[in-house]
Amino acid sequence: MRFFGLGKYRVIVLTVAMFLVFDLGVLVLNFVISSQIAADALAVNMAGRQRMLSQRAAKTLWQINERTVAGQPASGEMAELTEAVALFDETLTAFRQGGSVRGGAGVVVTLDRIDDAEAIAILQRTNAVWEPYRARITSLLANPAPDIDAVRSALDVARGANLELLKLMNELTSQVEVTAAAKATTLRAVQIGGITLATANFVLILFHFLRKLRQGDALLEQAKKETDDILVTVNEGLFLLDRNFRIGSQHSHALEGILGRSDLGGADFVDLLRGIVTEKTVGMSRDYLDLLFGERVNEKLVGSLNPLDVVEVHFDDQRGGFVTKYLEFRFNRVREGGVVAHLLVTANDVTKRVQLERALKEAHERAKGQMDLLVEVLQVEPDALRDFLAAAAVCLDKVNTLLRERTASAADRREAVIAIYRLLHGLKGDASGVGLSGLAESIHEVEDLVVGLREKHATLDGNDFLPLTVRLERLFTQVDALRGVVNRFAQIRGVVAVEPARAATEPDAAQAPQVRRWREFATRLAEKQGKHVQLHYHGVDPATLASPYREALPTVVNQFIRNAVVHGLEKPEQRLAQGKPAAGNIALYLAAREDGGVDLSFRDDGAGLQLAAIRQAAIERGLLSASEAEACDARRLVELIFRPAFSTRSSADEDGGRGVGLDVIRNYVNEWGGNIRIGSTPREYCHFRISLPRPSPQLSAGAARINGEAA
Amino acid sequence: MKLLIVDDSNIIRSKIARALGSRNLEVVGLARNGHEAVSLFTRTRPDVVTMDLTMPEMDGIECIRRLLELKPDTLILVVSALADKATAIEALKLGAQGFLCKPFSEQDLAEAVEELIKGAVHG
Repeated sequence: MRFFGLGKYRVIVLTVAMFLVFDLGVLVLNFVISSQIAADALAVNMAGRQRMLSQRAAKTLWQINERTVAGQPASGEMAELTEAVALFDETLTAFRQGGSVRGGAGVVVTLDRIDDAEAIAILQRTNAVWEPYRARITSLLANPAPDIDAVRSALDVARGANLELLKLMNELTSQVEVTAAAKATTLRAVQIGGITLATANFVLILFHFLRKLRQGDALLEQAKKETDDILVTVNEGLFLLDRNFRIGSQHSHALEGILGRSDLGGADFVDLLRGIVTEKTVGMSRDYLDLLFGERVNEKLVGSLNPLDVVEVHFDDQRGGFVTKYLEFRFNRVREGGVVAHLLVTANDVTKRVQLERALKEAHERAKGQMDLLVEVLQVEPDALRDFLAAAAVCLDKVNTLLRERTASAADRREAVIAIYRLLHGLKGDASGVGLSGLAESIHEVEDLVVGLREKHATLDGNDFLPLTVRLERLFTQVDALRGVVNRFAQIRGVVAVEPARAATEPDAAQAPQVRRWREFATRLAEKQGKHVQLHYHGVDPATLASPYREALPTVVNQFIRNAVVHGLEKPEQRLAQGKPAAGNIALYLAAREDGGVDLSFRDDGAGLQLAAIRQAAIERGLLSASEAEACDARRLVELIFRPAFSTRSSADEDGGRGVGLDVIRNYVNEWGGNIRIGSTPREYCHFRISLPRPSPQLSAGAARINGEAA
Repeated sequence: MKLLIVDDSNIIRSKIARALGSRNLEVVGLARNGHEAVSLFTRTRPDVVTMDLTMPEMDGIECIRRLLELKPDTLILVVSALADKATAIEALKLGAQGFLCKPFSEQDLAEAVEELIKGAVHG
């Protein structure tokens, strides 16, 4: 039995009950004793009347005697005596046995039997006196006209009894008064005792329980403060949901920021979702919460079905648009007495995490896409690729312009769609033409979108172009990526394709007269520059090459040697400081291809092309403005060294600096229909590769010219 | 306890049988679709069922409904891909107790079934 669930209030309820019992006890005693005092007062009163009645009986008897002696009738006195005797007798009986008595003014009152021993003794003595006295008077009164003797005889009895009765009735009155006074004293004592107990009880309640209550309040206050501190500080949104999906009155401060509103206490969670997630998600969430409030499903085994695990939400941004966030809600059952009473909900804003994950995924896909691109690019002819990229940029720009100007009439929009389709279709053809199938596929997807728009032409509005703009943006990115790959690849190509291994090297070609002349020239030039050089030769005897290359190439090689020794190779101490051998190395390779063409490779291990110096020289010679030079990529800068009159040397001497040389080489190569590639790494090497086709007959004249001009 | 495995994939069926057969569970049947499941269920009266959702002939949702009509206290673990959460929640509303997402490891499955049985005993 747990006191009807009173719990910790049991003691206070008991104490208050005791307080009431004390009060009630005092009240009841008060009532009982007061009625006794009233009865006592009546007894005192009646005892006093007995005294008076005894005297009146005696006096009336004497008057009867007087009237009888005077021979007068005494009927009035007789009646009075009868009344007095009857009253006295009635009251005496009531005192001894309890009973009704006629009081003053004819009111009947009830007298209690007197049970005080002293008073009983007085009553017994009174009775002994009264009985003979009453008998005498009763016999006197039996005769309405008594004779004088009868009256005298009665008067004699009265003389004997009267004083005795007066004395006894006096004693009775005093005794009854003493008893009443004793009872009043008892009553006062009881009242004082009761009130004292009640007061003590009250004081106990006041001090003991108030103190306990105050302690309890302080504990509650502290607990509440701790809860508040947690709710204010925690970064997660925390709240409880009841079975009606109402949010509890307490929630963490962070929740307001996460949900973008503050009127959350008591709000309907499902209603709250309704505005920010899809209707399908709302329905699933309600079902899921129902399942959690039910007892049947296993909480741990349904977590993966939480539809609000990571959910995209849209909030009004107060400016007519909306903000997209990603929120994560977790639900845990809170049990009370074994029953699911609430769900504890943890809400988090995971937008940053989701964005990061997406960015990572995109980066991964982009890297993979670039790899695919690289593989494709490797198989595409470089010049065709460059041409294609230039055309693609122009084409996409045109599409972009059309999209930007689409806001005019519906007819204009239809025309724009047709024009865009035409442009993209052409570009797709070109892309597949050069072998960029990945890009062609992407263009095809955009083309599908455009076809969709074309079919919709009657109801076409500005918003329909939105997805197209987005996809076009991606296409731009793809073409940019392609350009980036091509640029990087162009630099790598020089390195990876160092030596074409198509023609066999002749073992004694390194000692061929022409090769010896090149070696001597290099050595002589190096001495003049205070440098050391070693020229290594691989390939065929230059004398065996087809005309006009046989005649012209020595001059070209001389020019490369001059360029390398003067500009490329460092002084011995500088080389040693960089960990290189003191003598610079020049690797020269010359091959006659089976198709009649010639490959020439010239590589030195000097300082490499110094882009900063080229940039500076370009600015000084007014070829580029400072800002242009800054923005210029490596490829374009390298091309500058083939410009006429371009040199990075500050002063010209007979060996270099006038800027004549590389431009001449390029002219010849152009004339022969060949190409030049350059690869270079700062402080490591510079490498020129010339590839010449089979010579055409009319080149002979050109060869003669070279010999004359550039030796 | 007796276990019935319902899945249209042979590989998944044997994977589940391998993972759970060794853990105090007696595999009493392997069903390829809802029809087979119902007839095997009637004969073997299993306590625990692993249930695929997308199957030919009779799908998992309908099958769960029938099995629970036959024996309402059957413990059903839905084993399905997470592609359609709505269908999985539907299965739970019908009376399945838990959900395990494909693909799963044998450890995942064993823990899920343990949790399922523990939940039924205590909760």
